[in-house]
Amino acid sequence: MSDDARQTHAAPAPSGENGAPGGHGPRGPGWVPTWPATVGLVVTLVASVGFAVSFIRDASTQWLGGFLAAALLGIGLALAYWGRDLAGDEVISGPYPVPHEDAEGRAALGDALDQSVQVITRRHFLTKMLVFAGGVFVLSQVVLLGALGPRPKNSLRTTSWRAGSRLVTFDGVPVTRDTLAAGTFLVAFPEGHLDSADSQITLLRIGADPHFKTLAGRESWSPEGYVAYSRVCTHAGCPVAQYEDQAKVLVCPCHQSTFDLMNGAQPVAGPAGRPLPQLPLAIDAQGNLTAQSDFTVPVGPGFWDEG
Amino acid sequence: MSEHRLKTSLGRAFGAAPTPARRAARWLDRNLGGSSILREELRHIFPDSWAFFLGEIALYCFIVLVATGIFLALFFHASQAVVIYHGSYHPLSGVPMSDAYSSVLDLSWNVRAGLLIRQVHHWAALVFVAALIIHLMRMFFTGAYRRPRRINWLIGLSLLLLVGFNGLMGYSLPDDLLSGTGLRIAFSITESIPFIGPTMATVLFGGDFPTTGIIARIYPVHIFLLPAAIAGLLGAHLGLLWLQRHTEFPGPGRDDRTMVGSPMVPQYALRTTGYFLLLAGVITAFGAWLQINPVWLYGPFRATDATTSAQPDWYMGWLEGAVRMFPGWDIQIGGFLLPAIFWPAVVLPGLIFTPLFLWPWLDSLALRDNRFVNVLQYPSQRPGRMAVGAGFFTFLTVLLVGGGDDVFASAFGWSLPVLLRALQILVIVLPPLVAALTYAIARRRSERWLVS
Repeated sequence: MSDDARQTHAAPAPSGENGAPGGHGPRGPGWVPTWPATVGLVVTLVASVGFAVSFIRDASTQWLGGFLAAALLGIGLALAYWGRDLAGDEVISGPYPVPHEDAEGRAALGDALDQSVQVITRRHFLTKMLVFAGGVFVLSQVVLLGALGPRPKNSLRTTSWRAGSRLVTFDGVPVTRDTLAAGTFLVAFPEGHLDSADSQITLLRIGADPHFKTLAGRESWSPEGYVAYSRVCTHAGCPVAQYEDQAKVLVCPCHQSTFDLMNGAQPVAGPAGRPLPQLPLAIDAQGNLTAQSDFTVPVGPGFWDEG
Repeated sequence: MSEHRLKTSLGRAFGAAPTPARRAARWLDRNLGGSSILREELRHIFPDSWAFFLGEIALYCFIVLVATGIFLALFFHASQAVVIYHGSYHPLSGVPMSDAYSSVLDLSWNVRAGLLIRQVHHWAALVFVAALIIHLMRMFFTGAYRRPRRINWLIGLSLLLLVGFNGLMGYSLPDDLLSGTGLRIAFSITESIPFIGPTMATVLFGGDFPTTGIIARIYPVHIFLLPAAIAGLLGAHLGLLWLQRHTEFPGPGRDDRTMVGSPMVPQYALRTTGYFLLLAGVITAFGAWLQINPVWLYGPFRATDATTSAQPDWYMGWLEGAVRMFPGWDIQIGGFLLPAIFWPAVVLPGLIFTPLFLWPWLDSLALRDNRFVNVLQYPSQRPGRMAVGAGFFTFLTVLLVGGGDDVFASAFGWSLPVLLRALQILVIVLPPLVAALTYAIARRRSERWLVS
């Protein structure tokens, strides 16, 4: 397989009587051993049987796949070797197809096309009607998209929280004023909506932590040191599930947006641009935690007409 | 001996002995005609270089994907109806989940060879995209995109987009926690598009996320619509390749009008069939021994569950990185909001792919060179192009690292915000630096090249 051999056009493989590849004849120059291909094919034989047997005996993925891989590799190796070394190194050359860059050919093609187009466009009015009717037909098919789904209406702006909704845990157990000790948290839902993705909240009991900043207008939202934020990330909508006790931040596991719980859940690191909305809380006469209303701004990732 | 000679000459005169090949040729000619064209095409020339195997890897991955995909389709249920799991994977016994997820668990644990085929399918997809990207880079750095192969460059890039997107559809199907998280993010990205975003999101998903019909909707897209488009484009790609023939590297006897190589039959056909089987073997070995996407560990998708360190498949990593690294610049315009995620997830892919699509034309405009070529260039022959390519590749690599910033931070004990800031600086500073350095090195090499 030297370079010299490749430049000779149609250099026949060392074959036939003097040094037949794979034959038992004299080993002339360029003689190529056949055993690698033989070994490959034997591997395929054995591995194919192994594959079938391991399938029947319900063997593990490793055995099954190992045999299948070996069977493929064996025959693949044999064929690649055959094509590269045993079949001989025939090198041929030929012309590339050339584009019709001659003016004559181009003119002929142009004429032919021109004539075809003229046959159609001669009828001016009909041509215009064809374009018009065809265009309207294509546009009319766009309405089919409407079958796919509804327009958003209010679903992106509202959640299942209503004035007086009781807070419940994952298991539906109501949250009372004694459920959390200061410095602890849990995940809560509006009663009756345990599966509501956009209503999930992180409920924290800040207690009397002096670092906690109550934002203007939210003085009545955190009774007895309870404060609740939407658990849907304002970046890409994942549940903001990681609570870091030391830093008092919530971190989103998807893109690591980090929200400061001591300061209105403002984003302090990562890609989120807006704080987690806060849910106004109240405590009812039975000592249950409830919502004063729905969130005052849309929860979750931003959208165009949210602003 | 003389008798033998007589026989052969007689054989030539009266139509050769009817070997199976001759019989086949006669049958083909009788029923289809054009045996002379066929004879010529058997000698179709294939230039010999490892570089031309890269595209073949991609093609063969597609074949493996179709074969394994058909097997998987026989067992997958594209339904989000809730079932209670009672299958062989005991840790999830009694857990409510979608029929789709349950069928993937059955496929992995109960169907014989099911897990193997599933893992081979996933690995083939990962290798497919990698092969497409390396193939694309080879085209770029050797100037194979020049006239007359611009259209095939466009087809190749479109294939990359479709294959990447279909990969995303594929790993969204099992309806495990990771796939649901990916869909959640896809919904948020769609929502962020100005004017049409919110409507587009609810129309495509069939309502506000999470919807109960999305798996059934993705399924025909993944197994029919996109594969048909990919197969069609592959056919066009190969058809053009066949008509225009391969490019070739410079060498004795080779120029823009003459090509040198092996004939298709038998040398090339044997070799490439061998390579196909070798590739299938390697991917099968991956599927046998390297676990991929163990969905049973993630659990079913529930909108209120979160995973730790959720990562997409590798070819979406640059996009993931961009989404993580872009600062939270939400913009309020009048009564409207332009969410920050719009820039890295919608605008950036456009900014990356538009110049790629236009590249063959930009290149010939910049060089005022519109010749019809068949001989490739060596990368360092064009220092400017090499610099652009290296800078571009660096940019994407930094983004890819950004896609795993939390993994790197915890593996090396770095502070995540510090790493994030460092990556934000690197993604801007590093590409021009690498480009300049590449230009200097390539320039020196090309000068030496011209001298010798």
